[in-house]
Amino acid sequence: MPPEAETHRRIDSRGEACPGPITDLALAYRRAKDGDVLELWATDPGVRSDVRAWAERTGSELLSVEDRDGAIVSVLRVRRRRP
Amino acid sequence: MRRVLILGGGTGGTLLANLLARRPFDVTVLSASDAHLFQPSLLYAALAGASPRLTRPERRLLSRRVRLVRDTAVRVDLRAKRVRTASGSVYESDALVVATGARAAPAQIPGLSETAARFGNYHSDVAAALRLRAALDAFRGGTIAVGQASPICVCPPSPAEGVFLIDRLLRRRGLREKTRLVFFTPYPRPYPAAAIDALVAPRLRALGVEVRTVFDVESVDPATGTIRSLEGDELRCDLPVIVPPFAGAAIEYEPADVLDEDRFLAADKATLRLKGVDDAYAIGDAAALPTSKAGVGAHLQAKVVAAELTGKPAAFDGRTHCPFDLGDGTGVFVTSSYSARAVPCRPRRLNLWMKKLMPRVYWLSLSGLLEPIFDAYFALTAPQAAPAPPAPAPPREPAAR
Ligand SMILES: Cc1cc2nc3c(=O)[nH]c(=O)nc-3n(C[C@H](O)[C@H](O)[C@H](O)COP(=O)(O)OP(=O)(O)OC[C@H]3O[C@@H](n4cnc5c(N)ncnc54)[C@H](O)[C@@H]3O)c2cc1C
Repeated sequence: MPPEAETHRRIDSRGEACPGPITDLALAYRRAKDGDVLELWATDPGVRSDVRAWAERTGSELLSVEDRDGAIVSVLRVRRRRP
Repeated sequence: MRRVLILGGGTGGTLLANLLARRPFDVTVLSASDAHLFQPSLLYAALAGASPRLTRPERRLLSRRVRLVRDTAVRVDLRAKRVRTASGSVYESDALVVATGARAAPAQIPGLSETAARFGNYHSDVAAALRLRAALDAFRGGTIAVGQASPICVCPPSPAEGVFLIDRLLRRRGLREKTRLVFFTPYPRPYPAAAIDALVAPRLRALGVEVRTVFDVESVDPATGTIRSLEGDELRCDLPVIVPPFAGAAIEYEPADVLDEDRFLAADKATLRLKGVDDAYAIGDAAALPTSKAGVGAHLQAKVVAAELTGKPAAFDGRTHCPFDLGDGTGVFVTSSYSARAVPCRPRRLNLWMKKLMPRVYWLSLSGLLEPIFDAYFALTAPQAAPAPPAPAPPREPAAR
């Protein structure tokens, strides 16, 4: 069976204070497959360090973190150690 | 008289019914259970040997002017305001409020239902809390792992409270030396909100609790006590104390798109009106709101909807005010709102006494008679809106490889 297509999912946590964004990200991670891309939009500045620590620990790739339209946009590729 | 149908006779539904009963409304509460559980006491029943009265008959908590129907809603047509129940009855009304709470959903994680059946937990019902108490009573040493299985959790302090209370229990029983106590969490730090973690992480360290962060439970094997995480880690224990994931009630809705993936309802975060339908609201744990699921929210949201239904515009500000037992005889309140980040107050004995007083005050608070006191208290303890500092414009970060 061919693998399911990877999906790109946008998560909007703008306006949510810590731990809102990381909660939303962790929930999306739960539902993601290996290779899926998650794009997290947040306004809480704490998200920068959280996303980095989280990506490192889950083994996900942090593709970019940038400011866009007043938000901090982090893009990650989910890597499952046990697919 | 305008008919209001409230689904769920828990914290939010009961208070709302009693607030509306004083006005010219025809109020019906449809609830799956006629025993009203004060959920926070599950913590003490399971982990501190307390035996308070955990439930009261719902009928006695409701004004005589409120009709109570004991039945389970299974299908809700939000536009027609028509509700079909498990017994086959149909109810119609002019306004509908969904207050069906959140239920423990251990089946989402392989092995967790069996684990809960064997070791219990302190997040679903009285029977599960008593199973956990029995498992702790039988424990003579080894490894205990405490933590939340998924990021959706009612009452954010409760997982950490669990580990603090278990540590205390073990010390009292002279078993702490013989026990490896592990706390796991899907978050990058022991307490989800950074400002509160400043109180929690050092305490866990001082108590010798081993912490596993970014540990999302993938499966549990109750036979071997093995907890596996999505991140590929593994934890072996003799007694797993796992806060289950939560989901909304198993109700079918029309339109179906009011529900999110976890069966919580998309409501306006201020007015609590359901998106895309008139005269329909969701309050409490049943609503998908960007704030913690807690009784305080259910209470304040009931007030907002009561005002809205009486024609007075009102708005919920996202307020939380969660009492947090630090296990050392002191406690804090974790307060936040949509515009203020979670901050703790100073750990004090007084805060813990207030938490311990809550089981008594709770039943009376549902009558709505204490509202003037609550209004003053919440105003006095309101968190200072601390808007996030403007994000500095950092250099663009290169793609991490
Ligand atoms: C261990 C623990 C500790 C907690 N500590 C605190 C605390 O210290 N402070 C705090 O503020 N909060 C605390 N909470 C959370 C708090 O108890 C809940 O947030 C609160 O009860 C939510 O109220 P609610 O009205 O939304 O739902 P609930 O009180 O859960 O009520 C839901 C009602 O809906 C009914 N129902 C469900 N499905 C249906 C259906 N299909 N048809 C009809 N009726 C239905 C149920 O029978 C129930 O009566 C704690 C929770 C736990 C588990």
